[in-house]
Amino acid sequence: MNLARRIRSWPVWMLMGLVVVVLLTIGTTRDDGPRTQSERIDAISKRVACPTCDGESVYVSRASAAESIRNQIARDVAAGALTDDEIIGNIAGAFQARVLLVPRATGLDALVWVLPIAVGVCAVAGLAAAFRRWRLQQGAVPSDDDRALVEELLAGGRIDDDEEVL
Amino acid sequence: MLGVTGVAGPLGRAALLVGLVGAVFGLVSAVTGTRQSDPKVLRLVPRFAWLTGIASLGAFVCMEWAMITRDFSLAYVQKVGSWSTPALYNFTAVWSALEGSILLWLMVLTFLTVGIAVKYRAKLDDPMVGWALATMFFVGVFFFVLTLGPANPFAAGPAGVLDGPGPNPLLQNHVLVVFHPPILYLGYVGFTVPFAFAIGALVTGRVGEGWLLETRRWALMSWGFLTFGIILGSWWSYEVLGWGGVWAWDPVENASFIPWLTGTAYIHSVLVQERRGMLRVWNLSLLVSTFSLTILGTFLTRSGVLNSVHAFSDGQIGPFLLTFFAVIVLASVVLIGWRGDLLRSPGTIDSPLSREGAFLANNVLFGVFAFVVLLGTVFPLIVEALQDRQLVVGEPFFDRLGVPVGLTLLFLMCVAPVLPWRKASGELLSQRLFWPAWGGTLALLVSVVVGATGIAPLLTFFLGGFAGGAALRQLALATRRQGLRGLVGRANGGMVVHIGVILIAVALAASNSFTRSQELTLKLDTPIEWGGHTFELVGFSREEDDRQTRISARVEVDGTERAPAVTKYLKMGNNIGTPSVLTTLTKDIYVTLEPPVKMDSGTAKIKVFVKPMIVWIWVGGAMMAVGTVLAMFPGRRRKPTDPVSAPVPEAAAP
Repeated sequence: MNLARRIRSWPVWMLMGLVVVVLLTIGTTRDDGPRTQSERIDAISKRVACPTCDGESVYVSRASAAESIRNQIARDVAAGALTDDEIIGNIAGAFQARVLLVPRATGLDALVWVLPIAVGVCAVAGLAAAFRRWRLQQGAVPSDDDRALVEELLAGGRIDDDEEVL
Repeated sequence: MLGVTGVAGPLGRAALLVGLVGAVFGLVSAVTGTRQSDPKVLRLVPRFAWLTGIASLGAFVCMEWAMITRDFSLAYVQKVGSWSTPALYNFTAVWSALEGSILLWLMVLTFLTVGIAVKYRAKLDDPMVGWALATMFFVGVFFFVLTLGPANPFAAGPAGVLDGPGPNPLLQNHVLVVFHPPILYLGYVGFTVPFAFAIGALVTGRVGEGWLLETRRWALMSWGFLTFGIILGSWWSYEVLGWGGVWAWDPVENASFIPWLTGTAYIHSVLVQERRGMLRVWNLSLLVSTFSLTILGTFLTRSGVLNSVHAFSDGQIGPFLLTFFAVIVLASVVLIGWRGDLLRSPGTIDSPLSREGAFLANNVLFGVFAFVVLLGTVFPLIVEALQDRQLVVGEPFFDRLGVPVGLTLLFLMCVAPVLPWRKASGELLSQRLFWPAWGGTLALLVSVVVGATGIAPLLTFFLGGFAGGAALRQLALATRRQGLRGLVGRANGGMVVHIGVILIAVALAASNSFTRSQELTLKLDTPIEWGGHTFELVGFSREEDDRQTRISARVEVDGTERAPAVTKYLKMGNNIGTPSVLTTLTKDIYVTLEPPVKMDSGTAKIKVFVKPMIVWIWVGGAMMAVGTVLAMFPGRRRKPTDPVSAPVPEAAAP
């Protein structure tokens, strides 16, 4: 086995995987320091819609209603008695759920969470089924269509392909 | 001057009418000439194309003239014109609201029709070209009707109006208003061309690969313009809106992003059809989706059904756009169904571990991503229709669902460039992925060393390094073999685009996850330290004219004077913040002046954002644009009979 192949051998891949896992573990478990009050206000503001704006969050909007809600959030954060969710809950109570930028996972609103997952699962399942069907088809005798396609390609020679050639 | 005001309206309406007649005759002559194979009739088609192009240009010039001369006899000028608007923003005011933006759309569309008629003037007797031109004229007829009906920019306004409010304040304080909308429209409208050829292929039954070859550069060019337009829009948003972000998942932003997603899927999967003759229905569906989504997006954001910070609401245009969308989708589905037998692909994909397998997975992800964005955009409409209550779906929703999809796409960008066509062996993958994977590991190590935290950003940095390594490997091999020519062609230009995408992904992950922000109340000549930077208020300045009052706080940031401002547009009454952005290679210091500003108090409240790596979003965008241009040049030709892209000699070696 030459040196290049030895370097790329499976123990080296395992080592690389181990390094990646260790680095990810360090990076995700260590404390990144306390947020400033301003950053906590920003984080909450990003989850609340400005009630008088065109779909903007309180964080983005410069409208007076957004400013008023930001001030309320700032007061709540400064008081330090409520969690982020409680602060948002209070605002939602005052303005109704239409100020929530994250739809709830109940009732009709849950569809917005369920449908993408369902579509994703169906797409992956469809892809897997297609690959399975193609695998089963392999080894079949080429049809006339297959032969015609190859003839066409060979005769035309119009495929302009600049893909990798090693 | 007074002698020439008032003529723009009648002239503009006349130009649009002439254009409509030209488009109708163009459509009729393209259809009849193609059906009867009559060269005399077909020779008329380019002339009608020119007529529509000249007519739409004439209408556009009339609109500009009306704006320049402040012709307040027109309702549109009353809406967006003003004597106090500076010349540049007065010029761009033409596309600052619904009617003018549709006029701009129409002009781009007719110019593209002229472009096709000129490019294929020697092939007009080819039925596919004939039907493609007929489709372009059909779309043109629709937009001429719009501009003469519900989106008429030349409609007369109430008498006696002598001045107007001018364009939206956000559209008159940054030069990008000149570039962003036209470039975005070039992309948006540009997808009409491949769509038209797809229709031509379906009608003629020539659903092989010929139409793809004819349109691949059009598709790539449209995609490039759309990409560049979206990036410019993000830059504009960052520089103008004052909230420190580049993307807010606003419905109008989404309306441009959804066709971009399906268009991106198409420019990948089309390679599979060209190489393997497969995915014909899928590619046609993607093109139809991309084009129809541009119409649906226009409906959603221009009809008033959805609120957006930059939507132009108008109650009349909605039914027209929705009907046109339905016609496009229905006609396309019927045509695809009609040609179902011809569209069946004879080949199979041998293995998921192949270039075509990766493209297919990429398409599934882009499709799911497009669905997520579309669903999030229209879901408030669904809830309102079913339960008569208002709901907003915002950034947190899109981030939660978009991040996993984005990370998976990044993973595919690591693997796909090294995969050969048909099938890859484990040995081959081990050989080709080894150094790119170590590149990712190194990127992760650096990220952890500099203090990055959180699973999503760390995975982005790892996969970004990995994918960057894979792209650089491809470019290194190509340039070693072909010199600078190894940078052109779809595969190599595509790798430059990939590097641009990676830079954007990494920069977005860094800026979204590690931005620090703080509100500071500054007193005159009293420096404050925060986040390793010094901020000192050294004074105020006030500028006033008949359009605006602008108050700037002169703030020294680490000794460099910056001037965040608040501008009050007198006719609108809005306060618009203008941030000051100090850009370096590693971070931006973004400072906004928070209203109310009381100059005599000697204090100013500012908000400071320290945003890492933002500049790399714009660098990445530029690389995507450059890569797209490189991809449009013809690359190295190869024999179509080559079984795989790599003969894998090492794998076979003992």
